Amino acid sequence: MEALSNKLLVWVTFAYLGATVLYLCHWVIKARAFGLLGTILTWLTLAAHTASIVLRWLASYQLGFGHAPFSNLFESLVFFGWTLALLYLIIEWRTKLRQIAVFALPLAFFSLLYAMTKEPDIQPLMPALKSNWLIAHVITCFLGYAGFGVSFALAIMYLAIGGAAIPQEKRALTLDDLIYQTVVVGFILLTAGIVTGSIWANSAWGTYWTWDPKETWSLITWLVYAALLHSRFMRGWQGRRIAFFSIIGFLCVLFTYFGVNYLGGLHSYAAGQ
Amino acid sequence: MSKNKPQPPGGRIWDFFASVKLSFALLLALALTSILGTIIPQKEHPGHYQELYGQAGGRIIEALGLHDMYHAPWFLLLLALLAVNLIICSLNRLPDTLKIIRKDPREDLKRSPKAEQSFTLPGTPAENAEAAGRLLAQSIGPAQSAEREQGGLALFAQKGAWSRLGVYVVHLSVLIIFAGAMIGSILGFSGRVNINEGGQVDSIILDNGQPLALGFSLRLDKFAVSFYDGGMPSEYRSDVTFLAKDGREIMKAVLKVNDPAEYQGVDFYQSSYGQNADSLTVDVVRDGKSERVELKQDQWVPLPGGGEALLLEARQEVKMGDMYQGPAARIGYQDPEGNRLALTAFKAGAKMPARGPLKFEIADMKMVAYSGLSVKHDPGVWFIWVGCGLMVLGFLFTFYTAHRKVWIVLTPAGKGRTRWEVAGSTNKNRLGLRRLIDRLAGEAQAGQPGE
Ligand code: HEM
Repeated sequence: MEALSNKLLVWVTFAYLGATVLYLCHWVIKARAFGLLGTILTWLTLAAHTASIVLRWLASYQLGFGHAPFSNLFESLVFFGWTLALLYLIIEWRTKLRQIAVFALPLAFFSLLYAMTKEPDIQPLMPALKSNWLIAHVITCFLGYAGFGVSFALAIMYLAIGGAAIPQEKRALTLDDLIYQTVVVGFILLTAGIVTGSIWANSAWGTYWTWDPKETWSLITWLVYAALLHSRFMRGWQGRRIAFFSIIGFLCVLFTYFGVNYLGGLHSYAAGQ
Repeated sequence: MSKNKPQPPGGRIWDFFASVKLSFALLLALALTSILGTIIPQKEHPGHYQELYGQAGGRIIEALGLHDMYHAPWFLLLLALLAVNLIICSLNRLPDTLKIIRKDPREDLKRSPKAEQSFTLPGTPAENAEAAGRLLAQSIGPAQSAEREQGGLALFAQKGAWSRLGVYVVHLSVLIIFAGAMIGSILGFSGRVNINEGGQVDSIILDNGQPLALGFSLRLDKFAVSFYDGGMPSEYRSDVTFLAKDGREIMKAVLKVNDPAEYQGVDFYQSSYGQNADSLTVDVVRDGKSERVELKQDQWVPLPGGGEALLLEARQEVKMGDMYQGPAARIGYQDPEGNRLALTAFKAGAKMPARGPLKFEIADMKMVAYSGLSVKHDPGVWFIWVGCGLMVLGFLFTFYTAHRKVWIVLTPAGKGRTRWEVAGSTNKNRLGLRRLIDRLAGEAQAGQPGE
């Protein structure tokens, strides 16, 4: 079951790349069929991706120490890719803007590709990780990261299509609004992620906040996005500036996720074996 | 919005603290400075910084408090400024916000914002008004209407005025979290205690090294580690009993990682474990004569030949270079005159120089499991959880509800037709409002709204 899950994942990884190519053809050649194929392939891939995660979950029970598949770097990368694809599809469904896929789906692809370089063995949980708060923590954080990731993709797209200082035409206005909306989704979920993480830390160690590097970086990320949300209330802060801001924010996310492993601390178990 | 407000006393300072620019700067300043504490190791020994960054570097770190920067005065000052910023900004805006919320809809009814959709339908304005009112009622709320000149009619409806308070809920939640953190750091304490299996403690060691009497006792009845098949530990478990001062058993509890126990506002967390010496059998060598005694950790034992001894600490395996390898212990000795000193004991035959009036040689060591517990008291923690909950609810309130206003102005367009002009305003999500207006217009033109 574990082997099947891993094999499925290889297909899923490259299917996201394939879907990106279809969407790119759709954009460049302007043939509707490509877009439709891209959408269908992405939904099917997400379904297979979901199946792979569920299989891994079941496999851990077969091994006798069942736990949700959110416990190490490999599993979190796989889940991150899943949340990115899901959020993209929701936005496509709401806005019908298929071009976004060209920027958003590669993130899912790279997340999974990076996962491939990690040890995929299912490991039992160390005592501190056995908590439902941990599951809530990981799910909310990664959904939040996906919000920021898609916002980043939108920001790149905004800059790629001209990057007006103040958005004027319809597509730029929509992108500007979506950059903000996805940051909002990310911000709410990151907040929930930090809160559930604090509750977990409090039940495991008796302190809800210890300023360990990963915690601190999640707070830094949170502060940057809080500043972004407030920049809206200062004149002239839209369009290109918000796009740049969203890109900086996502760099903070990436550092919180990967960079911190080089700094040590409580979360170093997530550094991957 | 607040430009034509009467200026409160101290206008310029007030304005400075009421500005979003300041909060923007403070949020980014906090983010940037926080990075330092993740690069510079925190709360290390002062000498360590000199090693890492040289003498000058170490001194700068010390002076700026970067060795414990999240508690450094300047960092706390930034947080305090943010709190002041938040309070003043909210106080500054709240009256305007309340005015908007309480505004009489009849005032809005007089306005005619720029239409986003306009079209004509058959019938007089009065005949169209019923459909318009029904459309508004369905999608926004009950409509007010008023006559306009030349037989025209205006309808107005709004919803979600309360959503303007969402931001205040969020900002209040930040203050509540700050309050919780302050209460915790002023009134709370944090420490740790090791208890031997079967043993009992009535005090703990605080983080600053001082002992603190608990006012009750805690006994470790049993400690157990369970393992996965592969040999990885899966659970640490301490079965404990809380006892009153007079020794009465009050409560039993099981402590596991992620599953603490609380008694009288003090929380106990499973945090470490290990082996401690329960008793130590030693040969007391004095004037060439040797006699066997068993020493205990918590009681003085009289020695043959005078004096008393107490076991302070014992280790099964100690390595001291090439000099010695094996068990070692520290023993407190009190001579008949009452003078106390601490002596180190090794196993017989060790080539360690003996000091003092007598020598202890280890004959046997009985080990016992101990459980290490973190002990916390944090009366602020509920403020934190309430603040966090309020923050998330406040976000949903702020971001996913909006104060929407919609106008439909009906004017005679000749030939028995009426011109519809649909306009709207909102404080959030303009695209959403535009979609709503497009839908309203579509339904009106389809003739049969809502069916
Ligand atoms: C960590 C602290 C803070 C958090 C989490 C926070 C959060 C928020 C959020 C979520 C919004 C709504 C943004 C939007 O609608 O796009 C907001 C708006 C706002 N915040 Fe803050 N804020 C914080 C600090 C501050 C401070 C210090 C000020 C002081 C000036 C401030 C002033 C404002 C203002 C004026 C608005 C706009 C309100 C409106 O919609 O009219 N915030 N804040």
